[in-house]
Amino acid sequence: MVSDGTNGLDRRTFLKITGGGGLAATAGCIGLGGGGSGGDIVIGQPAAQTGQWDFLQPGVTAATDVAIQHINDAGGPLDREIDLQRRDTAVNPNEARTVVTQLIENDDAVALLGLFSSEINPLFEFLQEQETPVVTPWPGSNFLDTRGGDKGTPDDLSDDGWVWRTVISDTVHTAGAALRALDQDHETVGVINGNTEGARSWADGFINAYESNGGTIAERVEVSQGAASYQSALDRLFGNDFSAFAVSLPLEDAITMMSDWADGNYGSQPILSDPLAQQDLVDQVGDPLNGAWAASPGESGPNYDAFESAYNDAGKEATINAWTPPAWDATMVTALAIERAGEATAEAVEQNLGPVSRGPGTEVATFQEGKEALNNGDEINYQGAATDVTFTDFGNVVGSVVINQVQDGEFTQVETISAEELRQFVPEGEY
Amino acid sequence: MGLVQNVVFGLVQGSYIAIAAIGFTMIYGIVNMINFAYGEYLTIGAFVGVIAAGLFPLPVAALVAMVGAGVASIVLAKLFFTPINETGPVPMLLTSIGLGLVLRNVIRLTAGRSARYYDTQTTTYEFTGIPDVPVGSVDLFGNFFVTSEHLVVVACAVAVFAILHTLLTRTDVGIAMRAMSDDEDLARVRGIDTQMIRNSVWILAGVLAGLAGVLIGIQTNVSVTTGFSQILQILAAAILGGAGSPYGAIAGSYIIGLVLALSTAFLPPSMTGISSAIAFLVLVGVLLVKPSGIAGQEVREA
Repeated sequence: MVSDGTNGLDRRTFLKITGGGGLAATAGCIGLGGGGSGGDIVIGQPAAQTGQWDFLQPGVTAATDVAIQHINDAGGPLDREIDLQRRDTAVNPNEARTVVTQLIENDDAVALLGLFSSEINPLFEFLQEQETPVVTPWPGSNFLDTRGGDKGTPDDLSDDGWVWRTVISDTVHTAGAALRALDQDHETVGVINGNTEGARSWADGFINAYESNGGTIAERVEVSQGAASYQSALDRLFGNDFSAFAVSLPLEDAITMMSDWADGNYGSQPILSDPLAQQDLVDQVGDPLNGAWAASPGESGPNYDAFESAYNDAGKEATINAWTPPAWDATMVTALAIERAGEATAEAVEQNLGPVSRGPGTEVATFQEGKEALNNGDEINYQGAATDVTFTDFGNVVGSVVINQVQDGEFTQVETISAEELRQFVPEGEY
Repeated sequence: MGLVQNVVFGLVQGSYIAIAAIGFTMIYGIVNMINFAYGEYLTIGAFVGVIAAGLFPLPVAALVAMVGAGVASIVLAKLFFTPINETGPVPMLLTSIGLGLVLRNVIRLTAGRSARYYDTQTTTYEFTGIPDVPVGSVDLFGNFFVTSEHLVVVACAVAVFAILHTLLTRTDVGIAMRAMSDDEDLARVRGIDTQMIRNSVWILAGVLAGLAGVLIGIQTNVSVTTGFSQILQILAAAILGGAGSPYGAIAGSYIIGLVLALSTAFLPPSMTGISSAIAFLVLVGVLLVKPSGIAGQEVREA
């Protein structure tokens, strides 16, 4: 005779198996964990939660979360909720490759809201093979100036670049820095930059814009990041005559370098790359940094106020930085693309990012407005927070640049260079 | 500014590399292992120091950091290295690589991702009057400066060298360390408590790593990668000096420091970003001429 205990075990095992199987079957039917035709729609966010650029992530994380909350509160695309899966890449290309694979293969993400230029540039071919749109608020890289987007043919996927960015390129905002340097009569400058893709790209963009408008580079020094001292590099740079010098490094390295610069009393006007408009830099370097300035992507979107209001209402602690509004825009425009497509697949998102942003159509500031317009049979034109999000054929946007200058121990916005002014630096058909 | 200034930079850089490299090379010489987790000992020291600096004056905080890193070193040795001591150098090496990864991530999880900074007041001392001797676009001599941090780093290094020399030549423990480094079996037969000496080396290496971590932290910042970013230079200095030789490690460190500073200052612009690689080229060049390193043979004969 079989004991009760054994019977109990069998019963439990049976229940576990049938229960688990039933749950799995149900999940499959309602589409849990995938884009599919029901349930949540998964969007991935490769993030810089660790690594040298992690100080920029909190604002982007907060903006994405607030945007998704608004989208879901408005009924979500296709009346489904967005489920954001965020994974850390540490801005390491190898990690990024793994994370992208996990988000697409395991999480069934239909689009990715992230990746830095340090990750996109070396992985560009890999990203093309994934055939999943990357809508990123990050990379200023000029590498992407002619590589992303849908080439103006939304229905034809064969020529697509699959990468879109809601932040202006280095080509645009370094042009702003160059323009201001020349306006301030700095006819000769030095450049010192790190040897990673992002740091180098900023320096390249700045030099191109600066030299093509009559400036002269006295010396360019490239340094290995993570060093305990940059004094030799500074000594080399300042062996030349110039009135200003441009710095492109991650924050921690920049603090070390600018402290070395201050200790050595080298003088000259510092021009900082856009990620360096951080209070930590001012706090650590101190008074010598007064007067230093950075040209950052501006807040020239027609609906910046709507974003700022939503962000502040959500009570997010993260300070708004240059990549926070573009993160809001990336999330909104992706959700609107799904809504217009009528299906949540990577291909459908790719085919609709252009149409919801370029117009013609009803101008909308939020997902809710866009959803209503689309449901009424109208075409829409999303007007963003950072820029107007009018994607070029290469998936780029053009926006203004703001100048943040260190005054009395903190960064203060002192000037805005309009998108119209900067368009002269962006060749027609090459951006 | 020119040659003199960059020699100053190189000497400062060589000083903190030397303090760390002495500990690294003593582990190699006496425990007979290459400890790739050693960079994390620097990080531990730097973090303990920056936390202690919030409570105590900087010199006291540095002592706390040295004690903290020393304790961490002996505890980690007991937990991870002593049990596999007899398995040979390869398992020890692999274990140290794994331990380094684990420590780095544990530090990241516990200390957070943001860099920390020592609150120091820098004073810059400028020296003038050296006539410029321009060669092409490079001024060879000229004025130069040193900062209070430079002086602290160099002073600490000199103090460490003096204490180390006294330890190795005037104390029973130091003489036993040298004996073990030469021939462990013979040292054991002669009645030396080899396990006690090993423990002493682990503690000493940790203490030196802690000091190096604080000195690097004072100059730059304290982050998860503070020690890891230095480990290749420490390794290069130790090998260049003759692995296992503390005196050789000192010489190797200053060569590496000077090569790093001078290569950045004087090489063509396209090569300024690869100064670390230049240091390794020098290492390879020296080893081709003297495979045992600068002081390798001398130590064996001592």
